Amino acid sequence: MLSVNRISKSFAQGQVAALQDVSLSLKQGEIRAICGENGAGKSTLVKILMGIQRPDTGTIHVDGRPAEFLSPRDAQDAGFAQVAQELSIVPSLSVLDNIWLGSNRVPVFHRRREFRDKAQAALSRIGAGHIELDALAGDLSIGQCQMIEIARLLVGDARLLILDEPTATLSDTEIANIFAAIRALKAEGRSVIYITHRLGEVFSICDSVTVLRNGRHIVTMPVGDCDREHLIELMLGRSFEDMYRHQPNETFHEAALSVANLSVPGLVHDLSMTLPRGRLVCIAGQVGSGAHHVLRALAGLSIATGEVSVGGTPMRLNSAAVSRAHNIHFISEDRAAEGIFARMRVLDNVVATRLPLLGWFGLISRSRLRNAAKSLLAQVGVDKTRLDSEIGQLSGGNQQKVLFGRAMGQAPGILLMNEPTRGVDVGARADIYQMMRSFCDQGFGLVMTSTDLEEIVGVADIVITLYRGKFVRRYEGAAITMKDILADITHPPDQASPPAMAISGVTAS
Amino acid sequence: MFNRRLLVPYLRPSAVLLAVILILAVIDGSHGRFLSSSIVFSVLQMFATVGPIALGVGMTMIIREFDLSVAGMVGMAGCIAVLTGGDNPWLGLAAAVGTGLCTGLLQGFIIARLKLPSIGVTLGGLLVFLGVSYALTGSRSIQYDDLEVAGLLGQHIFGFFSIPSLIILVIFAVVALIFGMTKLGRDLLAVGGDRRAALSAGIRVDTLLIGTFAFSGALAAMCGALLGYSLASAAPTGLSNVLVPATTAAILGGVSLSGGTGRPLGIALGTLTLSVLQSGLNALGLSSYAHEIFVGLVLLAIAILDGTAFNARLDMLRLALRRS
Repeated sequence: MLSVNRISKSFAQGQVAALQDVSLSLKQGEIRAICGENGAGKSTLVKILMGIQRPDTGTIHVDGRPAEFLSPRDAQDAGFAQVAQELSIVPSLSVLDNIWLGSNRVPVFHRRREFRDKAQAALSRIGAGHIELDALAGDLSIGQCQMIEIARLLVGDARLLILDEPTATLSDTEIANIFAAIRALKAEGRSVIYITHRLGEVFSICDSVTVLRNGRHIVTMPVGDCDREHLIELMLGRSFEDMYRHQPNETFHEAALSVANLSVPGLVHDLSMTLPRGRLVCIAGQVGSGAHHVLRALAGLSIATGEVSVGGTPMRLNSAAVSRAHNIHFISEDRAAEGIFARMRVLDNVVATRLPLLGWFGLISRSRLRNAAKSLLAQVGVDKTRLDSEIGQLSGGNQQKVLFGRAMGQAPGILLMNEPTRGVDVGARADIYQMMRSFCDQGFGLVMTSTDLEEIVGVADIVITLYRGKFVRRYEGAAITMKDILADITHPPDQASPPAMAISGVTAS
Repeated sequence: MFNRRLLVPYLRPSAVLLAVILILAVIDGSHGRFLSSSIVFSVLQMFATVGPIALGVGMTMIIREFDLSVAGMVGMAGCIAVLTGGDNPWLGLAAAVGTGLCTGLLQGFIIARLKLPSIGVTLGGLLVFLGVSYALTGSRSIQYDDLEVAGLLGQHIFGFFSIPSLIILVIFAVVALIFGMTKLGRDLLAVGGDRRAALSAGIRVDTLLIGTFAFSGALAAMCGALLGYSLASAAPTGLSNVLVPATTAAILGGVSLSGGTGRPLGIALGTLTLSVLQSGLNALGLSSYAHEIFVGLVLLAIAILDGTAFNARLDMLRLALRRS
């Protein structure tokens, strides 16, 4: 139904080629995975298909007829719909209004029973029937908002659905529901383009896969002709060494951080833990388990109660400045809002937290700033020619590396990371894991949260599981297994048992 | 289907209005200065002046923009109406409203297509309108000779109402119906709640932006023209101090400066609250400072109650109390 012919697109007056001569075609009812590292051109391709950007050259044909998309509206009229990585949910509207937002099917007078019923049916179909139609979308979790976006696709008459990492923030049961919905859409004859960094999903849901690398089309093949290792090789363009290097640093013994009775109202209840220096601790929990808020509270960003001491000194909670003074670095799950200064240069971003060290009586020295930034970029592996680029133009992986650079070269402290590899491609992921290890070797205490089980088991020295804001268990070293963690985070603590549903193939493959 | 949650946006504005009426009635005691029919008329007269501006500015606030230019438009529209409506008041009204509509369209077009912040653009508009009114009138107050029109506009209808207050009540009712029943209201709330989300959901954001500024400009112009007629004169200054009351009314009515919340009926309630306060305090013989201090405190309280951080701190306090 769709064919894309020799599309090229470049940015910055032709200096950066995002797509070069990319062609692909899609049949009705086909689920196509598009894989590639960040910067491979996936998001540019999606933006062109959705009418957000226009290609420099090349054509798009829908059902054999040429189509030109000048605005998102044109693409929608052609039957294209998208769930973007950044959700398009309006927080001040109800769930119902969000589901029907922008739909052509809604008449001018839209407060009618049938639209409520259809919206309810769509939610039930993806196992989200418990979400109230009249609830404000702003009161829901990210995972629930994702379900609303998918419900929006279901009520629409879109023929081509583009899903850009739809499972990045979801729990396993939610993912299973969404997969069921995608299969139902396929059965109705709709086509799907599925973009994901979780390669296991390619094999469990997709019919065929297209690999992009550096803006070029590498290969398109049925998933049956391919396995995981081969796919990674195709994406990276080189063979793939083991991403996870698992050697806990045993040289440190003292506690980096001890926490007693930490509570975040409504989200975390009486959490106590002691974490050693030089280890990578992972707090595992589903979306909404409060894991993110444990870290946010320690960083002084969520209002909390409890006793916390850092390296033996008690620390007052509820102030980000106090947490920083105790040498706590925080890397947010929401990079765009709480990480980078998107409109500022890479240079300004990487030194943002250490300006007082780079000046003389409050006057900032430009040359020292520049030299410091250069050496930091070299340490985190970002090309130093990007020093003067706006950081918003870098790929997610490179942005994240710059944020790690802020903690680099400072006295060992605590590094808190919420979902440090969200929106980060395979290649940059390996670099980031390596960076985490080097922080461990310097004597930092590292705490991260993740909803990706494979990642947790791969990188963590210590795992703490949470269920609905309550501590469940602590695992260390060889005792860390995917099965136990999955059981802990999906079941109330007293009845923890292996989950009945065989969903390990989804995230664990 | 009737839905309880549809009432939620009106709860607070209604509560504030009732509280204000109650407080004034209590202060008044048995003197009968506050709850009288002449008060109702003066409340509605003020409602007719502030209402159109509050509705226009409030709608631009709902879509997370702000129309400063109404302050200049009221004065300029008054001058245009008085100057062109000498023979036929309808002609003057049409000229004024037409000017408001066109300049609103132009400002909206600049804001939407050039992606400029509305404060800057409409501040420019405000200054231009002020300057034009000085030029039109030669910096003097100009008289409107058709005193019959002024008399007609000041007449009591059904006891409490007048032509201007009836007009604005009808406008509020129509706008509230359109806003509540059609897609338009939802789309405006979406544009204010999350512009990017609205755009990627396929809403015609630019059209809505331009339309809202045109609406705001036209309402401000209508208000200015009616004011000019009923005072039988227009002056370049004097009429421009409507922006602060209008914004206050919108906020009292549940419109947030961060966009995406608020309803036309809420704005009407907010305007009514403000009018009741002003007329009531006047009737009670309290000076106008009292009015400003009172409104200021109410606004402050609303701002604090709105904040998420305040609620989070309340939760924490509750938790701590339960522990001890």
